[in-house]
Amino acid sequence: MLITCPYCGPRDVIEFTYQGDGNRERPDPASQNFEAWNAYVYDRLNPAGDHNEIWQHSGGCRAHLRVVRNTLTHEISSVAFVRGDHGSAARRKAEDKP
Amino acid sequence: MSPRRTDTGGRIDRLKTIRFTFDGVAYTGHAGDTLASALLAKGVTLFGRSFKYHRPRGLLTAGVEEPNALVTVLKGEVREPNIPATMVEIHDGLVAISQNRFPSLAWDVNAVNQLGGKILSAGFYYKTFMGPVIGPLKGTRFWMFCEHFIRRAAGLGSAGSAKDPARYERMNAFCDVLVVGSGPAGLMAAKAAADQGARVMLADLEPRFGGSTNWSGETIDGAPAAEWARRTVTQLQGRDNVRLLPRTTVWGYYDNNTLAALERVSDHKEQPAKGEPRHRYWAIRARSVVLATGAFERPLVFPGNDRPGVMLAHAAERYVNEFGVLSGERIALFTNNDSAYRAAVALKKAGAAIVAIADVRSELSAEMRKLATEAEAEVLAGHAVVATEGGKAVSGIKVQRFDMLTGALTGDERSIHADCLLMSGGWSPTIHLASQAGAKAEWNAARQAFLPPKPTQQWPTQQWIGAGAFTGSFSTAEAIAEGRAAGLAAAGGTSTPAALPTVEALPGDPDPAPVFEIRAKGKSFVDFQHDVTAEDVRLAHREGFVSVEHLKRYTTLGMATDQGKSSNVPGLAIMAEALSKPIPEVGTTRFRPPFAPVSIGSLAAERFGDLKPERLTPMHDWHLANGATMYSAGLWYRPMIYGLSGETIEQAYVREAKATRESAGIVDVSTLGKIAVQGPDAATFLDRVYTNMFSTLAVGKARYGLMLREDGFAFDDGTTWRLGEQDFLMTTTTANAGKVMQHLEYFLDVIWPELKVHVTSVTDEWAGAAIGGPKARQILAACVTDTAVDNATLPFMGIVRGEIAGVPVMICRLSFSGEMAFEVYSGAGHGTHVWEALIETGKPFGLVTYGLEALGTMRIEKGHVTGAEIDGRTTARDLHLDWMLSKKKPFIGSAMMDREGLIASDRLELVGLIALDNRPLNGGAHIVEALDEANPHGSIGHITACCYSPALGKHIALALVEGGKARHGTRAHVSDPLRNRFGPVEIVSNHFYDPEGTRMHG
Amino acid sequence: MVERQSPLEPEFHVGSHGNFEHGVEILLTETRPGSIVQLAAWPGEEKKLIAAIRTVTGLSLPDGAGGGLSDGVKSVFGFAPGKFTVADEDEGLAAAFAKAVTPAIGTVTDLSHGRTAIRIAGPKAEWVLAKFFAIDFALTAFPIGAGRSTTHHDVFAQIQRTGADQFDIYVFRSFARSFWKALCHASEEVGYEVQ
Repeated sequence: MLITCPYCGPRDVIEFTYQGDGNRERPDPASQNFEAWNAYVYDRLNPAGDHNEIWQHSGGCRAHLRVVRNTLTHEISSVAFVRGDHGSAARRKAEDKP
Repeated sequence: MSPRRTDTGGRIDRLKTIRFTFDGVAYTGHAGDTLASALLAKGVTLFGRSFKYHRPRGLLTAGVEEPNALVTVLKGEVREPNIPATMVEIHDGLVAISQNRFPSLAWDVNAVNQLGGKILSAGFYYKTFMGPVIGPLKGTRFWMFCEHFIRRAAGLGSAGSAKDPARYERMNAFCDVLVVGSGPAGLMAAKAAADQGARVMLADLEPRFGGSTNWSGETIDGAPAAEWARRTVTQLQGRDNVRLLPRTTVWGYYDNNTLAALERVSDHKEQPAKGEPRHRYWAIRARSVVLATGAFERPLVFPGNDRPGVMLAHAAERYVNEFGVLSGERIALFTNNDSAYRAAVALKKAGAAIVAIADVRSELSAEMRKLATEAEAEVLAGHAVVATEGGKAVSGIKVQRFDMLTGALTGDERSIHADCLLMSGGWSPTIHLASQAGAKAEWNAARQAFLPPKPTQQWPTQQWIGAGAFTGSFSTAEAIAEGRAAGLAAAGGTSTPAALPTVEALPGDPDPAPVFEIRAKGKSFVDFQHDVTAEDVRLAHREGFVSVEHLKRYTTLGMATDQGKSSNVPGLAIMAEALSKPIPEVGTTRFRPPFAPVSIGSLAAERFGDLKPERLTPMHDWHLANGATMYSAGLWYRPMIYGLSGETIEQAYVREAKATRESAGIVDVSTLGKIAVQGPDAATFLDRVYTNMFSTLAVGKARYGLMLREDGFAFDDGTTWRLGEQDFLMTTTTANAGKVMQHLEYFLDVIWPELKVHVTSVTDEWAGAAIGGPKARQILAACVTDTAVDNATLPFMGIVRGEIAGVPVMICRLSFSGEMAFEVYSGAGHGTHVWEALIETGKPFGLVTYGLEALGTMRIEKGHVTGAEIDGRTTARDLHLDWMLSKKKPFIGSAMMDREGLIASDRLELVGLIALDNRPLNGGAHIVEALDEANPHGSIGHITACCYSPALGKHIALALVEGGKARHGTRAHVSDPLRNRFGPVEIVSNHFYDPEGTRMHG
Repeated sequence: MVERQSPLEPEFHVGSHGNFEHGVEILLTETRPGSIVQLAAWPGEEKKLIAAIRTVTGLSLPDGAGGGLSDGVKSVFGFAPGKFTVADEDEGLAAAFAKAVTPAIGTVTDLSHGRTAIRIAGPKAEWVLAKFFAIDFALTAFPIGAGRSTTHHDVFAQIQRTGADQFDIYVFRSFARSFWKALCHASEEVGYEVQ
């Protein structure tokens, strides 16, 4: 499987680390809402189809990526930096696109 | 008569003679021969013994799909079993032996298994090793005894145990277009794509490019097809955007057009060149893939179809046209389609007599009758072969009138004298890679074959374009047209260049008659390699196996090393008939990688032996030169002990630990994970990451910190040093360095993107030496310049910068050993320099170097925790670290750490143990309240770490025990039945030594 | 000045090795820069950091991910969003950048000891590197000056192409010897010279 890192371009999946379900929302740090914490730590969607995932390009630029991946076909429909825009210095040239 | 070399013809170099041995007998062949063609040329027809019945077997095919002629190739001490002789290129000095025979190939005692055919039927293992046996033989032990012999009798070649000295490599490749297969379709595709300027790779599993052009006898653009192929290859060779990979099997098709291939780089050479690998594993990422993998000819299923001398029609054609070898003198053919007639003509031209062509079809085209006449063959239309005669080679065949619609055999059997029988049961496109890529094959009734699906049905992440016989277009003219179209499309080209090459070929209808089996008396083989007969398939059906997947597993049809390349479709057809269903309703099994066997060496490649990545500290060479025994900790190598001559490991670490507590010791701590945490929000970030406060830490001071996971369990511990207002140096345990780094990066990127903090691994930037003991400060004072190291300047957890031997250093006063201790950090490139200066200065003070064993001993004596205790199941409270859980702020894990189960009173807690019988304890041993050696049960905990404590003069351990503190002062027992260690222990506090810390605070 | 010890020393054998009878196709060396620093900008401050790089090194970074250049003495390239590696034959880069890169722009991390720079050059450089890294080394995909971050098993590497046939590979110091040995091993079939 290849993931097209917005910075590094298409790379083999072995360069990436799966960092979990991208739909989770971390409760307010001071919150004592146990249900919410439990959902955040343990509940996962596990859909058959498109799934929002977080991957880290741990063997490359180390950025965390929001990846929409179809769990049935492995087709990846979008990849974006989790942490905002880094400007043109982090943008790949058009001809690098696969 | 027997097979022989023809006087002319073939693509071998008759001027080059090559010498090799098979089963100890010396043979010669020519350059360009395979082991199969060279032996066949010498009249060898017996190549192996079958899997179950030990029936004599000869060559069925001429290529990768060969099920029978498996050999073992010996290279020195190394043996490689189960290689088809058709895939072994001969070279001087080649040593090959046959397999699965005893004592010899020609005379095999296990051939008696043939008589027990009824017993060794489908599901033999399932049936044999289950039922109860009466009397003294009851139970499974007897069966296990029998199984040993049965397994020895059934099987393939045996693997070697010698270390393989060959080199294997992995190679990554990127291309615009990967073309798999170099027949007319593949060559055209490669050329068309290359002409568009695309980066092209062309792989073929054969040594010779050209595929069928090498033996078809056809003409392309007025020249022999092989000549056309050679010219095309030469053109491709000259281009720098084309990489040609002969002897390369593309064996796996994975997501996003990632393909795996095995290149046999030097198997065909007597000796590889210096540095040249034996095999190369290619990981190819292709933008587009053209599959031009051709088709496999199918055998027909009839009694005696496995006798040596019975061969596929195209294989004989290939042997004669490509290798100059006639497979017989009096050749008969048996076919359900037109393609066999071309073989008949070719063999006739080469000098053989074609004694008969039995064709299941009663109506034959005028064109085929004309070809038969050309071959001077008697045509037996509406006939079938019902038996073969002979022992280890065919001497004749029996034919009978055959009704294609009913399958009925009528009339008298007629014997025909022949020394070779060629069969053709139609062709199956080689759709394996497309099937791996997720595509579901489609049954084509006209072709009587599974064809690859239309492009619209492909999986989104694996997209290929097919061409030639792979798509069911069996003629060369079609292959050339489809090949060029595929190459153009794969390269994204649209231009329509000059006219296509013209092909002159013999006529032929690509559609066979729907006949797979002739049901007559005798064993009719479907899967030659696994000895599965048509009757086995029907038996499986009678026993209730109706799914094709179950049939496959029960009969093992298609599960041998050839993966059913020739048996798959005939097996399905027989199953379909048994089920009275059409073939497409029975379905087919999905092909999985690898397409053909792959050497494990090529997969391990550079990850093996000396080339395994390893991490060395800056002082590594010093340790080796000074008697250290190294220990691998993850990828790191660390000194375990610095043993003196004659010392045991225990004597060495006891000496090292004792000397440290009496005077001073020094240990290499460079492996500790070190992370630079920098930025205006660094302190805020650390407050959230650690359970305790770091924003309150003064610049120039360090603090011990504990991290939890989000679920509230302990994660890692270490000290973090504040080097500047916005500049921290975090240390982690050696093992967790990578995990902690990812943890920090995750929270910065995903959870708190607003924080201005950068984290960088600086583990390798610093060399670390921890020097501890009563004399440690004196030693430092004697060699450090530019700073004092007295209590006022460098208090506990203080940090100073100075110089040692002209090199800048950073010193932090902290202690893991429990002694007055200092960690001295210098630039890694200066690590050995500083280390040597410290050791030189320390000599008069009695300074010793110590390793991991003494380090572990001293930490157990102090009751400090490491990864053995922070094992992912323990909480801060379990480890008595609850004093570190700040109540002033939330931190990672704070919300979840007070869950019911995590504060329960029966949790395992950290305690110390003292062995009351004064014998060594074992890590992992269980703790019980009452000892019952015969019936161990009732564990209340386990030992996490243990040692002999020189400070206490006792065998001690750290353990996690239910109730923990409440049991201090009580007795319990270790129960370790695996190592037969039982005995009384006293449960005490984990702080065995200097619990008040007076030594380290000084 | 105390000289820095190279992690490669016991495995650094100057001379020709492997199958060099038909010519040496690979040159291997350790470039031993005096300083290596990592610069990282806060989101939105990348342009200012690039300006600071120009002030300190005189090198004008081209725009875009992985952009970089080298003047033979100093080299700079982007390896991650907002992050750059700078190497210089001379020591003292970290101190120079500490002045130019204010806390408002980003951070400076000195890695002069922590990374080892290995140079591979020659007509077979792409071939040998392809044995290690699953990235496309073709000149069209990896232009001169550009940087890449990638991994060979556990060995993290930053690679800058400093010539048509030349690459500088920055690896963690602790892995350097192991990687060097593997690089020599992989170069044997084409013949290599250690300089």
